[in-house]
Amino acid sequence: MAPRTDSTPTGSAMSETSVESSIDPLFHLLRTIPFSFLRPPRLRLKLPSFTLPSPMTVFALILLTYFLVISGFIYDVIVEPPGIGSTQDPVTGTIRPVVFMSGRVNGQYIIEGLSSGFMFVMGGVGIIMLDLALDKNRAKSVKASYATAGVSSIVIGYVMSMLFIRIKIPGYLH
Amino acid sequence: MAAKKASPDLVNSSFSFKSLKLKTKQQELLLRVSILGLVYVLAFIARLFSVLRYESMIHEFDPYFNYRTTLFLTEKGFYEFWNWFDSESWYPLGRIIGGTLYPGLMVTAALIYWTLRFLRFFVHIREVCVLTAPFFASNTTLVAYFFGKEIWDTGAGLVAAALIAICPGYISRSVAGSYDNEAVAIFALLLTFYLFVKAVKTGSLSWALGSAFGYFYMVSAWGGYVFIINLVPLYVLVLLITGRYSMRLYVAYNCMYILGMLLAMQIRFVGFQHVQSGEHMAAMGVFLLMQVFYFLDWVKHQLNDTKLFQTFLRITVTSAILVGGIALGVGTASGYISPWTGRFYSLLDPTYAKDHIPIIASVSEHQPTAWSSFMFDYHILLFLFPAGLYFCFKRLSDATIFIVMYGLTSLYFAGVMVRLILVATPAVCLISAIAVSATVKNLTSLLRTKQKVPQTGSTKGVGSSKSSSKVTLDQSQPFHKNGAIALLVGVFYLLSRYAIHCTWVTSEAYSSPSIVLAARGAHGNRIIFDDYREAYYWLRQNTPTDAKVMSWWDYGYQITAMGNRTVIVDNNTWNNTHIATVGRAMSSYEDEAYDIMRSLDVNYVLVVFGGVTGYSSDDINKFLWMVRIGGGVYPVIKEPDYLVNGEFRVDKGASPKMLNCLMYKLCYYRFGELVTEYGKPTGYDRARGVEIGNKDIKLEHLEEAYTTSNWIVRIYRVKPPTNRL
Repeated sequence: MAPRTDSTPTGSAMSETSVESSIDPLFHLLRTIPFSFLRPPRLRLKLPSFTLPSPMTVFALILLTYFLVISGFIYDVIVEPPGIGSTQDPVTGTIRPVVFMSGRVNGQYIIEGLSSGFMFVMGGVGIIMLDLALDKNRAKSVKASYATAGVSSIVIGYVMSMLFIRIKIPGYLH
Repeated sequence: MAAKKASPDLVNSSFSFKSLKLKTKQQELLLRVSILGLVYVLAFIARLFSVLRYESMIHEFDPYFNYRTTLFLTEKGFYEFWNWFDSESWYPLGRIIGGTLYPGLMVTAALIYWTLRFLRFFVHIREVCVLTAPFFASNTTLVAYFFGKEIWDTGAGLVAAALIAICPGYISRSVAGSYDNEAVAIFALLLTFYLFVKAVKTGSLSWALGSAFGYFYMVSAWGGYVFIINLVPLYVLVLLITGRYSMRLYVAYNCMYILGMLLAMQIRFVGFQHVQSGEHMAAMGVFLLMQVFYFLDWVKHQLNDTKLFQTFLRITVTSAILVGGIALGVGTASGYISPWTGRFYSLLDPTYAKDHIPIIASVSEHQPTAWSSFMFDYHILLFLFPAGLYFCFKRLSDATIFIVMYGLTSLYFAGVMVRLILVATPAVCLISAIAVSATVKNLTSLLRTKQKVPQTGSTKGVGSSKSSSKVTLDQSQPFHKNGAIALLVGVFYLLSRYAIHCTWVTSEAYSSPSIVLAARGAHGNRIIFDDYREAYYWLRQNTPTDAKVMSWWDYGYQITAMGNRTVIVDNNTWNNTHIATVGRAMSSYEDEAYDIMRSLDVNYVLVVFGGVTGYSSDDINKFLWMVRIGGGVYPVIKEPDYLVNGEFRVDKGASPKMLNCLMYKLCYYRFGELVTEYGKPTGYDRARGVEIGNKDIKLEHLEEAYTTSNWIVRIYRVKPPTNRL
């Protein structure tokens, strides 16, 4: 068993062992100098114990950060593009919104980044649901619904991503 | 490999196909070897587009410097190369090349060259340089197979090798002709990680030794070795926190760190950074922490008393943290430990470079990544990555924890800087391979269990969890089997789309040599613009050998390598003030610029101009960076002087300072008489899409020496000062 270095030791190293058998020099020092005439109050505090979160909790957090990174969040923070672009209609003069920044692969608006990132994560979650559907210890109806949800997520995610990239890069696959 | 038991049959009876039947294990081995062989060849030939379309030449800017140094190494030998002081660049300062480069790439190419010559294949060194990157990409696929085998199983290894062979994120920097550090660095990176994970898994000293030497190769190849020396300690820390400390980890990390550090100090460019630089302190901290862990483990073993040990634990940990903190504080305060350099600090704080260091901010590869760059370089892998993470979290072990950490940290850095998508590619491919392999295994197991059910009569069918009658099982089995087949077809469809996407991206986006430009003519025929090489060869043949050429730093390496002339600044960008002087000269009026050029002893000025062809990466579009960098050192250059209402213009409405600065004059000299496009007035700039403002340009101190056939590169001679006024 590995020794736990993550427990925060108190500065004064007040050991909970009995006084006679303690080998802590600081404890003995503190016992004589301030605490021979001071009496500490009886507190009912407990050090917060640090338990590691379960793997799946960590995985959920990681999925969230993955979504942020893939949506180009860092690009949004540094370059600060508008949430959605706009163009002026040459005939009528009205301002029309433009969702996809066209013409370049390395630029984006905020909303297009977030929606594409969502599609990618949906596809990934679809594959995870497929794996959950093949798990033996569930009811048959649950597994069937997992399977359909998984397959539909993958299909929708893939189709939408292809659509987005075709809108963004006009000459895609030509 | 014929089955051994068939040999007496072969000898005695006539030939029959039965004698060639292999056992399952041998079949599997044959399949694996042939798949790996095909993947190896695929990785090589997928990178040969530009060699087939144009010719076997070196691409871009940085590879020309590497080519020049490799040439020097093969001609003069290793000791001359190691002690080389170059007086042909950064005139009049010169550059200590031996001490400021990473020699791994050059030494590797030279070794391959000498091996081929020993075998009596007398190839030119340029061919070796061009094909080094694809060769090492093929080797990377092999390492990826072994790594996948360590993390998951052989199926995942094969898929990983296949994915990484054609992944555009890797191809972009390892195409034939891209003779740059990353070509061997990614191979070294993956090799080091594989050997280290193997060492942690087995606890053997020889694997740890191998990983130390792999780390040494990485340090000699690329400045990105800092990633390894920070990821491995972080991984060890995570293992310690999750309670996975073991003797194997201790042996592996200690051997790798100490030996790797000592070996890394052999490279002059790295020097003593492993003990002096802030970026390397994490590794040292974790090393000391490991010693504390081992000591505590030993004491615990000796004491046999839990309570006593708890006390001792608390004292030791407190004092260790205190001592470590004080040492770090003293080291940083006294200046012995240098702080993080700008390049790496901007990875932690991405807004730093934009505000403080314009040179780093101006490089287009250093911009943060948009979603479409990710999609372009990864395609299907973006879906498979989270699924692969899920599978890794389901089956946590030392190896899967490592690949998860590698994937996450490298993906974050790839989000900060587009160039680092390359470092994330092996991790993304490996994790995606795990997802593919696990999913395909699940689906095929669905297909296979159907055969077992009628024989055993037990409820081993995947379709149900409770014991039910055979009738229900038989009814659900065909549905499951068809469903599994349909899903398998879907998986293969997605992988085939990935292959199509990768091939298209490689062919269209990543196979251009950048030194030769191509465009489609009016009838769809391809027109090649070879202006850069035309201009460099003109320089080589028509100027005196000691001529000095002033240009923007982008073209420095190419001018020294192909034009064989001394340059003032080049791509190494080690001296910001020198670059700022050149930037000031380019953005001043002709008289002030002439004084600066006389002080630098410049004979020729070279500019790149895209107004006739519509080429958009020319010096006018880079001009604002010259102003910013020049203005960063010389406050007399102010950016608002060149803008009109915050907008950069070159037509009649441009600011007067812009219309009369040296760069404008040199680019647009005699351009006002040219008709560039049908129906437009003379002097129409096709790259900016406007008619230029100042058409009548007179040059007083310079004269035009050469303009290439498509006006892309223009060279001017600096006239000596007039003798008689």
